[in-house]
Amino acid sequence: MPHVNYGRLMPTVYVDIGALPELVGITEKDGEIAIGALTVHRTLQRDAIVCRALPLLAYSAAQVGGGWQVHNRGTVGGNLVAMHPLYDIAPVLLALQADVEIQAPDGVRRAALGKILAETSHGLGTSSLLTRILLKPMTSDAGWAYEKLKITAGSYGSANAAAVVSLSGNKLSTLRVVIGAVSEQPLDASEALHGLLGKPWDAAAGARVESLCSALPKTLLDDQQGDATWRRAMAGVVARRAVQAAVANAQRTSK
Amino acid sequence: MATNMEEMLEDTVLLQCRVNNKPCELAIAPGTTLLELLREEMRLTGTHMGCMTGHCGACTVLIDGEVAKSCITLAATVQRKTITTLEGLKDADGKLTPIQQAFWDEAGLQCAFCAPGMVLTATELLKSNAEPTDDEIRTAMAGNLCRCTGYQSIVRAVRAAARVMKQLK
Repeated sequence: MPHVNYGRLMPTVYVDIGALPELVGITEKDGEIAIGALTVHRTLQRDAIVCRALPLLAYSAAQVGGGWQVHNRGTVGGNLVAMHPLYDIAPVLLALQADVEIQAPDGVRRAALGKILAETSHGLGTSSLLTRILLKPMTSDAGWAYEKLKITAGSYGSANAAAVVSLSGNKLSTLRVVIGAVSEQPLDASEALHGLLGKPWDAAAGARVESLCSALPKTLLDDQQGDATWRRAMAGVVARRAVQAAVANAQRTSK
Repeated sequence: MATNMEEMLEDTVLLQCRVNNKPCELAIAPGTTLLELLREEMRLTGTHMGCMTGHCGACTVLIDGEVAKSCITLAATVQRKTITTLEGLKDADGKLTPIQQAFWDEAGLQCAFCAPGMVLTATELLKSNAEPTDDEIRTAMAGNLCRCTGYQSIVRAVRAAARVMKQLK
């Protein structure tokens, strides 16, 4: 809508899908959680299934810019298909290894969200509809965190990171980190951080996360939220903070 | 051949909703924002036009009791819904609500450009949470920018409103 208000987009046709009840709501069946594309952020923050099984998503939905006014109306599907680099939900869903379900004229297909984001530069086109987001519950030993650097509580971030970790003793046994708001697309840093698995989380590991994640972006955003130099530096900082907080969360969970 | 009127009707949506407790039925262009409808068609100028990007909160209204930013809401999507603007809060005698009164008493507003967002968000907050903590008030208010007060008096106003509303129960 901001693009429409400022004349950067001039739609000739509007299609209101808001009255399709099939696209709203959250269900859990056979170990999988399905979130309808029109489920609003406020529901994600308060839904019993999401709060229990996907606390990272519940928390991050409360960090979406724009405050309650946007949380009450903004949908998880809209947040994804807008593919806005500063939006909060895609990095989190990537860290949670979500799949998405897409309805097209030739049928329904299911694909990893990461694959869809890699295939499309903006939106799903005019003939496809994102219908559901499909996720496995987080494991009971998972520690998680979503860190967002922002100038006001309700604003866009200048860098954000979602982290999911698990520990074996004091050593990292799982480490997934996705960084957003620094490049056009969220950056999955998990592979780059693979070398930290099996090692203890300490200051040296934190410094390693920061340097590896700062080096990760090939192209950087340079906008009102911060210039490219800032974004590269903050990609590392926010990733380190997210892993640090996720480790602390995992340690609390295991006690 | 279609007449101009028929062509015009083809390009409009018949919107039926309630605005400040009055039924509203009018034909609108599909791209009309709720903000445009309220300010330009209905002359409800208590809903302010600010950033037009959904950041500042000056255009806030209640849709079925929940705050929303009318500048990024297409009017056609509020079909059969109940809209309350800042003008719609006061009672028939023109008496302010406890929340409006508290903003007045505590100087929660200075220029009052942010009034729709602040007052209506406080309205939604106190409906579901009668005794919010300061953190809860600040979290609820995060979608509204104020450039006068420094926010302290706003938090004070919401706290004061909560106290008064508790006494009235």
